[in-house]
Amino acid sequence: MEQHNIEITISPDGEVMVHVKGAKGKACMEYAKWLTQVVGKVKDQKMTSEFYEPETKARIRLCQDIKNNE
Amino acid sequence: MGTVIILTPVVIAAWPAIAAAVTAAAVGMGLAVKESAAESVTEKQPETTPAVEVEIEDSQILSQSLSRGKEMVLTKDGVELKISRDERGGIKVCAGGLGHTKAELEAIAEEFVKKTTQCYIYNRTVTELKSKKFQMVNEEVTEDGTIRIHVRHSEE
Repeated sequence: MEQHNIEITISPDGEVMVHVKGAKGKACMEYAKWLTQVVGKVKDQKMTSEFYEPETKARIRLCQDIKNNE
Repeated sequence: MGTVIILTPVVIAAWPAIAAAVTAAAVGMGLAVKESAAESVTEKQPETTPAVEVEIEDSQILSQSLSRGKEMVLTKDGVELKISRDERGGIKVCAGGLGHTKAELEAIAEEFVKKTTQCYIYNRTVTELKSKKFQMVNEEVTEDGTIRIHVRHSEE
């Protein structure tokens, strides 16, 4: 089971910083889109290196392909 | 790792959600909620009394939920804050009170607007997180009033 952590910081003036951890690619974007709908408008967004990592299922398939070719 | 987003709040809701945020902000700032707007002190004050108006940016009270003329009134130390719906449907905070400068009233109104916005966003976020069955890991309020929420979601 994959666990995704989200840290939400609400500043005293209501501005919100959301940090999605453990979710990659599409899953990460889904959390971001949903929280944007909940809070308001996007002021800034940065992708971290984890975003560009392949999602778990794709990584498993890749490992299996490599083993089969050996 | 993943993504970091900065979001600007938008306060659009029916009156009960706005009233809950206003009440929470009032409690946080030590303001008392008046029973009725008819008791309003500012209405009885002479025209020379300083009064300032501050709007909550990107806000809207859904029209069906609060008829024009209805408002909430809060007081503390001779300062009175009236929260109402303006002509465009936005949330307006009007601050007044004898013995206070315009700058003081403006500062109080601005602080109240920020606090109300924070309370609204907190209530809405936590409600949505619960509805999506997020597990609450930690929640804290820092010295400067920032709220930090850490939640976890399990994907099968």
